[in-house]
Amino acid sequence: MAVAIVKERWTNKVLEMTIGQEPNAVKVGGDSTLPFLHFEGEMPNRPVVALEVWDMEPDNWPAILTEPFKGVLDNPVAWAKKCADYGADMICLRLNSAHPDQMDATPDEVAATVKAVAEAVSLPLIVVGCGVEEKDALILPAAGEAISGQNALLGCATINNYKTITATCMVHGHNIIATSPLDINLAKQLNILINEMNLPLSRIAMDPLVGALGYGVEYAYSIMERARTGALNGDKMLAIPMICFVGQETWKTKEAKTEDNEEWGAQARRALLWEVLTAASFAQAGGSIFILRHPESLKLFNNNIAAMMKQNS
Amino acid sequence: MPNFSINIIPDHKQVTANEKESLYHAMVVAGIPLKASCGGKGTCSDCKVLVREGKVESLTTGMLTEEEQKQGYMLACQCFAQSNLVVEVPEESKLTEHRIVLSNNPAGGSIAQNGDERIGILEEEPERAGEGPDIPLFKRLFLKVPEPSLDDMEDDIGRVIRVIRKETGVELLRPTLNVLLTLPNILRQAGWKVTVSLAEGKGYKSVEITGVEPGHIEQKYYGLAVDIGTTTVVAKLVDLESGQTVGIKGTYNKQAVYGDDVITRIIHTNEYPDGLRELRKVVVETINELIEDLAKEQRIKQTDIRTVVCAGNTTMTHLFLGLDPTYIRLEPYTPVVNNIPAVRASRAGLNVYPMAWVQCITGVASYMGGDVTAGVLVSGMAFAEELTLFVDIGTNGEMVLGNKEWLISCACSAGPAFEGGGIRHGMRAMRGAIEKVRISPGGAKVTCCTIGNVPPTGICGSGLIDCVAWLYKSGIIDRSGNFVSDVKSPRIRDSAEGKEFVLVWSEKAGRFTDITISEAEIKNLIRSKAAVYAGIRSMLQMVGLPVEAIDRVVIAGGFGRYINIRDAIDIGMFPDIPLEKYSYVGNSSVKGAKLALLSKKARDMLEEIAKKMTYLELSIGNTFMDEFVSALFIPHTDLGLFPTMQKR
Amino acid sequence: MALSGLQIFKQLPKTNCKDCGQATCLAFAMALATGKASLDQCPHVSDAAREVLDSASAPPVALVKIGVGDEQVELGNETVLFRHDKRFEHPCAIAIPVCDTMGDAEIVSKVDAINKLVFDRVGQTHRVDMVLVCACSGSPERFVEAVKLVAGRTAYPLILKSEDPATIEKALEVVAAKKPLVYSANAANYQAMAALAKKFEVPLVVQGAGLDELASLVEKVAELGCKQLILDSGTTELGQVLTDQTQIRRQALKKFRPFGYPTIVFASNEDPFQAVIDAGVYIAKYAGIVVIDSVDPADILPLITLRLNIYTDPQKPIAVESKIYEILTPGPDSPVYLTTNFSLTYFCVAGDIEASRVPGYVLPVDTDGVSVLTGWAAGKFTPEKISEMMNTCGIAGKVSHRKVIIPGGVAVLSGKLQEISGWEVLVGPRDSSGIPSFIKQRWNA
Repeated sequence: MAVAIVKERWTNKVLEMTIGQEPNAVKVGGDSTLPFLHFEGEMPNRPVVALEVWDMEPDNWPAILTEPFKGVLDNPVAWAKKCADYGADMICLRLNSAHPDQMDATPDEVAATVKAVAEAVSLPLIVVGCGVEEKDALILPAAGEAISGQNALLGCATINNYKTITATCMVHGHNIIATSPLDINLAKQLNILINEMNLPLSRIAMDPLVGALGYGVEYAYSIMERARTGALNGDKMLAIPMICFVGQETWKTKEAKTEDNEEWGAQARRALLWEVLTAASFAQAGGSIFILRHPESLKLFNNNIAAMMKQNS
Repeated sequence: MPNFSINIIPDHKQVTANEKESLYHAMVVAGIPLKASCGGKGTCSDCKVLVREGKVESLTTGMLTEEEQKQGYMLACQCFAQSNLVVEVPEESKLTEHRIVLSNNPAGGSIAQNGDERIGILEEEPERAGEGPDIPLFKRLFLKVPEPSLDDMEDDIGRVIRVIRKETGVELLRPTLNVLLTLPNILRQAGWKVTVSLAEGKGYKSVEITGVEPGHIEQKYYGLAVDIGTTTVVAKLVDLESGQTVGIKGTYNKQAVYGDDVITRIIHTNEYPDGLRELRKVVVETINELIEDLAKEQRIKQTDIRTVVCAGNTTMTHLFLGLDPTYIRLEPYTPVVNNIPAVRASRAGLNVYPMAWVQCITGVASYMGGDVTAGVLVSGMAFAEELTLFVDIGTNGEMVLGNKEWLISCACSAGPAFEGGGIRHGMRAMRGAIEKVRISPGGAKVTCCTIGNVPPTGICGSGLIDCVAWLYKSGIIDRSGNFVSDVKSPRIRDSAEGKEFVLVWSEKAGRFTDITISEAEIKNLIRSKAAVYAGIRSMLQMVGLPVEAIDRVVIAGGFGRYINIRDAIDIGMFPDIPLEKYSYVGNSSVKGAKLALLSKKARDMLEEIAKKMTYLELSIGNTFMDEFVSALFIPHTDLGLFPTMQKR
Repeated sequence: MALSGLQIFKQLPKTNCKDCGQATCLAFAMALATGKASLDQCPHVSDAAREVLDSASAPPVALVKIGVGDEQVELGNETVLFRHDKRFEHPCAIAIPVCDTMGDAEIVSKVDAINKLVFDRVGQTHRVDMVLVCACSGSPERFVEAVKLVAGRTAYPLILKSEDPATIEKALEVVAAKKPLVYSANAANYQAMAALAKKFEVPLVVQGAGLDELASLVEKVAELGCKQLILDSGTTELGQVLTDQTQIRRQALKKFRPFGYPTIVFASNEDPFQAVIDAGVYIAKYAGIVVIDSVDPADILPLITLRLNIYTDPQKPIAVESKIYEILTPGPDSPVYLTTNFSLTYFCVAGDIEASRVPGYVLPVDTDGVSVLTGWAAGKFTPEKISEMMNTCGIAGKVSHRKVIIPGGVAVLSGKLQEISGWEVLVGPRDSSGIPSFIKQRWNA
């Protein structure tokens, strides 16, 4: 009995975004079907993975996470090189030192770091602020200027600070991360607002503020599935790649931080699976850019992606 | 405790108060009501007054701005006299009679009639004339009753009933005891020629014979149609023989001093042992004053009003009859009664013919009252092929979608924003209210038109919609309602509550301060419009129809009078369908009540409407919330829903 | 496809008689459409209409029950492709295999380990669901022994895995009363397997090599009278499993009857890490049962957590836990904000406090996840409830002042709240975006 394969007739596809410069540029998006349904449409680019690099030494990472970066945690350039060695597709440089409760670094200070990292590694850069909207509106323009023309991905722009960050991306030729909490409509609204400042949609990546496994995975999961089906059904304002900050969410969970015990098993295995499983679920929901922390997670997740990317009937 | 004398200016009224009684309370008791959306709890800034002479103790300054405090404004509800006083009540603090919703003619006239200026402004549909009463709720008949004989020994009342039945076709008739007490003599003395009075009471199967009088009584008899609104009460005096409206009056609902919205009033009945009685008393008073005014104006006796039909939301009808409204607001939102049987006027407390029946039009749910049933009747949608959307926006937004096959309805708390509530310079649509705004790109030039073409005192709902529409069109705010940071204009400035836009400079306004609208207020308006649109979309979703399926939109309520539909569509409040599909019915609640007075057919239709109307509770599930957030954008997150806006 | 409310309505009597318990026929139709009512509740529906509606309302994925008693596993009744379209109904069951080649002691210790895979999450217990017993020894007698051993050691339903009908029959003679799932009927043995499933009234897995063979086999097995079926498309290759699972669910929703059953998938990747990740993909993407060979809690806990997340009902308002939230490391002088536990409301407030750069505490009062004004209107955000939360959450021990900020929209609560709680009540801005300017002007502890 021949089963007639059901193929959806999608009317639109996700825009393709290029980050970085040839020959090291990374392409994401371009999908014309739901994730990994190769029988139905194209998925020209596999999801890509960036490892996180901080511009100051993290003080609350568990030992299993700092171990692979021993000796480089206080040196963003060396740390970034290490990430490249581990096989990351991109470097995600997080400018935590600018946080007013941390070192309150100035725009010039962080710009210098960004420049140094960009010069040291050839991988495309994602530059993420300190998470304080006001401060990010000050430091990201400086960071964007320091690597002007390098087609990096800057974030995170929110409804409250998107204007200056968008302007920087326009002037210095970067892409932007648009962040909104837990609601597909808010996410779409921000995309529209940024796009209406004349930054092309192909230069916006959507960040649905994912939660870790056990901490609201399902909210972002459904927002992403809705965004992807909306995009494929013709909603241009949602037809852009989605970025998932999986590492930062995973490594603050109890499950990743609790040491070996009988009830929950070994910490290393548990924590790695926590990070990878979180990422793997979001890959199924339509994520294109993943920010992880542990190099082993990177490897495991890449294996999963590779298997998923295999063409099949 | 000493009583102080307080002189209220500019009206020169005298009030007395002791040191434990707030000025607000003293003035309300003395019949000088002030605005107070919070119900006199010191948490809004509506009841501000200026103490010109004397000493007061003031508890808090509530929501007054620094500027207002500097000018000496105080909250009347937080002020306690310590000596004799002279108190000035500014115009904007007074709870005054409303001049809207009373006639088919706009009270204003300041809007230019030429060019495209009036595009989008709807004219109220005229009342359908020429439809005489079929069977009014009260009726007099002049009858010739056949005399009894040995061949025809039927009882007296039986003979009367026989003739009435023949004349009217009414099967079930029932005399009152009073009629029977005097019947034999009247019949015989009048030579079997009598005038009988018939009254129908909702919920009773038989029509009541309430009077048999000798001869042909020519005296006119009237019915009263009342719209008991949360904010305003409107009454129409109707000649039951001709079906003509002979008088119409409207005033604010005196319950307003207990708070702006139904929730605050329900809470009042729970918090004060006497609360329910108080609220009932003042609304009955409100109606009685209208009755008195109408009777005086028409030079009739109040007892000539022989029947009353009220239409109101569920909370209002509960409070009017003294029914416990507590469970209206608590999950799962069940009122005491939706279909209220008729009660005698004497029992309801209305000063008309004491034995007159007073009926309330049947409602559907806690937030879907008889006023909406009446509106649906007036719109004609329940018996039409076309898919109609009925929208009544007052303190709450009530929406009904459907046709002759089905009706679905929902209520959203649009909030009182469109009535000026929660907006510092907001006001109801009355004289001096800015009802139209145009803003040139960048805010260089602002044009405001007021009702009555007088200097502006505030902004009413239609003006607020214009404000949002034109602040967006002129590039001053973005689609989320935030001020665009790089637009510089002296009209955009920082205030204690964030950014604001100056619509009218104080020297041009008839007041001390500039008329402004703040970013927070714009967001409040966007939330209100979003609630309306989300309600509409939730109903459409529930029945699986697209916006384009709507054939006709009927706007009801005072709010709709000045509203520019084009602007309302542009901000994403109403569906983007051709303007010619929109129409305005005015106060459909009182119109429906009037139809019920006059026509049995209308009364049957009202029952049918209430029975078939499905109420959609928006708080269940996520559909509404999802629609709501997507509507928190100008015009909407899904720009495709507003193709007209996109094209321009 | 399922009928819409309006389509159902057209089949109903339209008398609005309320006999079904709903206010109107349309309300009843909408309840039917969303699965909240059953047609039997309408005593007046015509036979013709019943026929139309019954077939339309039959679930696209059959309900299948495995096992008995408290541990019974229910699968199926699924109606959507995406959880946000409504919800996923029956959580994917996790099964762990034991093999009859293992020694008795080894079997016992593995079963015990399976029994111990119980986790507590937000007050609820979550665990694995089934044990698969595999006939690898080739000896029916050994298999029966192993089955007996496992059945005596765990209350979980069993899956009996053998392609030999005689072996299955022997095992069923011992454990049929526990309604185990039989794995599997294939092209070679389906008649015998179907006969066994019928005889012992147990659910049966139909395994086809690919979707085409699976569909024809299901039809044949169904013709033989078996209705409690589970589907296996025969692949263990990750990408192909996703394709097959997606197709089976899509076809089922289009009422292609052979695929109207739950599925079973084996996460049998040789790399144990990858096996867990594969299993995660299957849980997200429509698998009815996932079989994974691991009793390591570090493997199973993430899977069970993912399942819990994916199968959460998305129709419930998203609420945050009602407790003290600390924004930007507040101290004893920091302001205390009250709001409701509707997540969007909470996140707006938290975000705007963060934007103010003044650290603070947020207390979201449990209002069943509704917003401030709705909560106030419905009596869920009352001075009493707020005060109760303030007293029980321990905020008094965290701050040295006694001041609390309430949303401007519910300024009316301030008097009563002050009276009941004894805290000074400050009326904050109506919109949380006003928090930064409010706090700078009005706050001093």
